[in-house]
Amino acid sequence: MIKLLKIEYKKAVYNKTFWVLFGLYALIIAIIYWGIQSFLDDIVEDIGKNAPIPVTNIPIYEFPSIWHNLTFISGYLKLILSIIVVILISNEYSFRTVRQNIITGLSRVEFLTSKLLFIICISGIATLFIFLNGLILGFINTSDISFGIIFQKAHFLLGYFLELISFMTFAMMLTFLIRKSGLTLGILLLYYYLVEPFLNYKLPNDIGSYLPLQQIAHLIDMPSSTLTDFLKAAGMNINENIELVSVIIIIGYSVLFTYCSYLVLRKRDL
Amino acid sequence: MNSTVLSVKNLSKHFGRLKAVDELSLFIEKGNIYGILGPNGSGKTTFLGLILDVINRTSGDYTWFNNGNDISNRKKIGAILETPNFYPYLSAQKNLEIIADIKEVDYSEIDEVLDIVDLSHRRQNSFRTYSLGMKQRLAIAAALLGSPEVLILDEPTNGLDPQGIAEIRNLILKVAKRGITIILASHLLDEVQKVCSHVSVLNKGKSIFNGRVHDVLNDSVQVELAGTDNDSIKLVLKNCEFVEKFEEENDIILVNLKDNTDSAQLSQILADSKIVITHISQRKKSLENYFLELLAEEK
Repeated sequence: MIKLLKIEYKKAVYNKTFWVLFGLYALIIAIIYWGIQSFLDDIVEDIGKNAPIPVTNIPIYEFPSIWHNLTFISGYLKLILSIIVVILISNEYSFRTVRQNIITGLSRVEFLTSKLLFIICISGIATLFIFLNGLILGFINTSDISFGIIFQKAHFLLGYFLELISFMTFAMMLTFLIRKSGLTLGILLLYYYLVEPFLNYKLPNDIGSYLPLQQIAHLIDMPSSTLTDFLKAAGMNINENIELVSVIIIIGYSVLFTYCSYLVLRKRDL
Repeated sequence: MNSTVLSVKNLSKHFGRLKAVDELSLFIEKGNIYGILGPNGSGKTTFLGLILDVINRTSGDYTWFNNGNDISNRKKIGAILETPNFYPYLSAQKNLEIIADIKEVDYSEIDEVLDIVDLSHRRQNSFRTYSLGMKQRLAIAAALLGSPEVLILDEPTNGLDPQGIAEIRNLILKVAKRGITIILASHLLDEVQKVCSHVSVLNKGKSIFNGRVHDVLNDSVQVELAGTDNDSIKLVLKNCEFVEKFEEENDIILVNLKDNTDSAQLSQILADSKIVITHISQRKKSLENYFLELLAEEK
């Protein structure tokens, strides 16, 4: 395990693309986190002027709801981290180093495990980054702080961690299948933004919502606000918490994606 | 004391209808420098891919060190297939560290192998800045990590200039002196002839010849001789120090000469002995003729 981590560390840490993309992720997160409150306040103020019902202010940074708010916002950025996964794995094919790794004595299972470890680590680091940002913002903006209140909704961080891992195992499977970075990214985006939303729209709601990326996207749903009250009244199903069923389904999907990756790696000539 | 390094039995790989490797069997013993010779597309690389488990076999079997195809065997094998495959953005040092991590070898061995291939001074430069010859040498260094018992080299001199070719060949011979078994795939007859002790000739995935290079493919000079009095010619030959052996066939004497001699010296000696010859002709039996003959027979 340590051996695989060491190998993966060298492959990633000296890679410029890795740093550019991870830096971009961190930068965008920081900008959004530190800027979104004033942005939302402006909107709420604007809408509130003409609204027939009272629009309440959305306090994003207050413990404990801050964890729900931040992880929900960050959900959109998991794509950047997936690009890292796609690039690092497709590199192994274009440099033919996967072949050399196997020849040198890494088994296919070890190779796959090393990629999985990478995904888990990068998800962990991203979650930690969000946790630290949230901690600072929370302390600054919560007036009445007690220890219990800080971590009351911290399980949303674990949810985000799982969301990242599952989405990236999906990206990993696509990369093992397609092997070319450009094509893989194209298909990933196409599937994420077009194919699955379309399927979801066409299929009955109780089936469509079980599609993998739909499940992943709705693991952490929109935090409650005037808007969600409005949407709920319109008949939309919005989870206010993380549902255990979703967690189990998503873990199941991740295992499935990893197993498919293994099959592809096993059956194909390198 | 010879022990089996690799034994291959009826190994086949089909890509659809194409039989890239077809019922191939061979046997490699410890200490051999085993050449796998064949024109481009004859299945050399596919064969090496099969015995290194990066290509899935269609049928047949192989075993390393009488221990099947277990991944643990790989620690005793150093191999490069086709082009040198490294992470271009990593330095030679870091690339070798990854190989050392996989093989669970101490990093201190990296200094050693870099010295052998004479790349120590460029160890911190990234792989992408290397010339082809340096890449090839780094690949050999990588293969040497962990003091393998077997070294597998696939066209190691491909695309190099004459100086680079000579360097790599000397390197192979240097390594071979340490008692490492070497499997060398090449389409260059000359290379196999110069480096290898055994050879297997491949064509269209089939092995059409197996054996010792020295026995079949030596390129010593053979001279045909005939004269008015063959018996006195034989008497002279018997006493001549650069004649290896001779035999008579249908009134023509076939003489094998030692290295660095030719028919001119032979005829000089015969003339000195006042022997009249009616026929003298020199034959060169080279690997090239042999190879071409073999391939022609197959067609």
